[in-house]
Amino acid sequence: MSERSIAVLARKVSKHYGEGNTYVRALGETDFELMSGEVVALLGPSGSGKSTLLTILGLINEPDGGDLEIGGQVVIRAGEFVGNTNQVRRRELGFVFQRSNLIPFLTAEENVRLVLELDGVGKRIARQRSREMLETLGVGDRGAHYPVELSGGQQQRVAIARALIHEPALVLADEPTASLDKQRGRQVMELFRSAARERGAGVLVVTHDHRSLDLVDRTLEIEDGFLIAGGVALGPEGRSGERSSPTVRP
Amino acid sequence: MNLALRDIRHDLSRFALTAVGLGLLLTVVLAMTGIYNGIIVDATALPASLQADLWIVQRDTRGPFAELSRLPAELEDRALAVPGVARARSYVAHTIQRELPDGRPLRFTAVGLSWPVDGGESIPLIEGRPLEQAHYEVIVDESLGLQLGERIRLARDMYTVVGVTKGILASAGDAVAFFTRADAQSIQYDQSSEAIRLDRKARTQRIRESWLGNDPEFVRFAETATGLIPAIAPAPVSAVMINVAPGASIEIVKQRLATWKDISVYSQEDQNELILGGIVEKTRKQIGLFRALLVVISTILMSLIIYTMTVDKLHSIALLKLLGAKQTVILGMILQEALLLGAIAYTIAIGVGHYAFERFPRRVILENEHMLMLALLVLAISSIASAIGMKKALAADPNEVLAG
Repeated sequence: MSERSIAVLARKVSKHYGEGNTYVRALGETDFELMSGEVVALLGPSGSGKSTLLTILGLINEPDGGDLEIGGQVVIRAGEFVGNTNQVRRRELGFVFQRSNLIPFLTAEENVRLVLELDGVGKRIARQRSREMLETLGVGDRGAHYPVELSGGQQQRVAIARALIHEPALVLADEPTASLDKQRGRQVMELFRSAARERGAGVLVVTHDHRSLDLVDRTLEIEDGFLIAGGVALGPEGRSGERSSPTVRP
Repeated sequence: MNLALRDIRHDLSRFALTAVGLGLLLTVVLAMTGIYNGIIVDATALPASLQADLWIVQRDTRGPFAELSRLPAELEDRALAVPGVARARSYVAHTIQRELPDGRPLRFTAVGLSWPVDGGESIPLIEGRPLEQAHYEVIVDESLGLQLGERIRLARDMYTVVGVTKGILASAGDAVAFFTRADAQSIQYDQSSEAIRLDRKARTQRIRESWLGNDPEFVRFAETATGLIPAIAPAPVSAVMINVAPGASIEIVKQRLATWKDISVYSQEDQNELILGGIVEKTRKQIGLFRALLVVISTILMSLIIYTMTVDKLHSIALLKLLGAKQTVILGMILQEALLLGAIAYTIAIGVGHYAFERFPRRVILENEHMLMLALLVLAISSIASAIGMKKALAADPNEVLAG
């Protein structure tokens, strides 16, 4: 694995919805960092702010304030998107969801290849890399099949292949094992772990599934919009044994 | 990667069926255009084929095509005496519906030509020859289904088909058959022997009951055939067609004829305007409205199809946005699908039309400009339809993907 760097660095990122009586604080001022090659599980009950944090890290929603860097690139400054967020999503982010969320009218191989072609990679190279990635994830023989023709586990592998094919700085996974049995759920988490190690991506897994938490590097818990202490931070040189430094609920 | 083609490929049968449906709708739009053109050409084909410079008709009527006109047959001779008139021919026409011995219906407009001045030499024939004898010959339009040399019984006589035309129809769309005027009127005024006897008896009775009945000579005349009674004029004609002499001015001849108090005179252009403004006008408006309605329906239908296709893949569009796809990629997919749908539907319309229109009972006339017009129309419909889909696509929220 290459030298560890910061995959994502969030400083005082916050978000609220509504005004007056309908005011809801979805995310308090949050500091958060994730190293490349690190797999972090984000735990928390429904409505705790997991999805809000995910949409901010995924550059889908702007926060009210705070700064965010992804792969060393400032993408949010003082609560506003900076630069071409589409391009950052194409190049620096990978997404995996509870349900595979593959595009139904594309084959498995095309679903993976799409990410590269959207970023201007030539068709021949994109096809070759997609096939290799699918082989790596054990679904090389399913490349010509449509998502509906794949099992849930196969679909999730293809989705992971799509999330990793462009070697993003950060992979955001939202409940990726929720629809899988324990064995397949662990397989998926192992895939994240090996992908993070081999490809240097930081992986943030939002999950309710405690069955595979032994496979993550650390866990973070979020409650009422605040990260609460938990897990062990991974420093630039590997596991440091330090506590992570999330903002503690006041 | 072309997302539009892949989306279509994924549900090819639905797309194909949609394209066929839309194509058939466009076929109807095309047919309406062609039928409209056909009506105009048909309506003016008959007067055009007769190649008259001027038409003399009953005073203050717009005959003989737009309304009924009756003129004394001798007007033909009066017109010949006018300076500048080279040729005068009478025109009679009436519609006939009979049945052939094999049961086929035979409906046509019988036009009487002024034999021997006019044997139909000006009529464009695709087969055969003009009329060469005073009786029992006929020139028919091919749409009547009669063959050259075929003999048909009309009234009391057998007629031989000696010439065949193509596309010479009356304004109502009936095929035209050209006879000599005498034959045309003989067919028109044919009565059964019993009807003739009763007519003579009634006439004789009327004479007897009047002061003329005191003279046995009058009574004797009344009992003879109508044609032998000098006091009874020959059957009237509908119009008299005039051809001016070479070098003579049509306008001047028209002005000379117009001084007569018992007639109205029209040029060929006037006749065309009367036909198109009278007989065809309402049909034109009706077809125009119908065509406009079909275009609106096509636009709504195609918009709905594209909108539904967009809604069906809204989740995929949200996912594409989440993956960082440029707007142009997403909008391009919708536009390409709309254009492809339009292009296939257009091709189907042209293809179906090519084979179907010639089997239509009325003539369907389409020129390249009409095809081009439809292509532009389809382009406009596709663009409008895709704009509605694009609006929906632009509103797709990547959050929906996270929401599951």
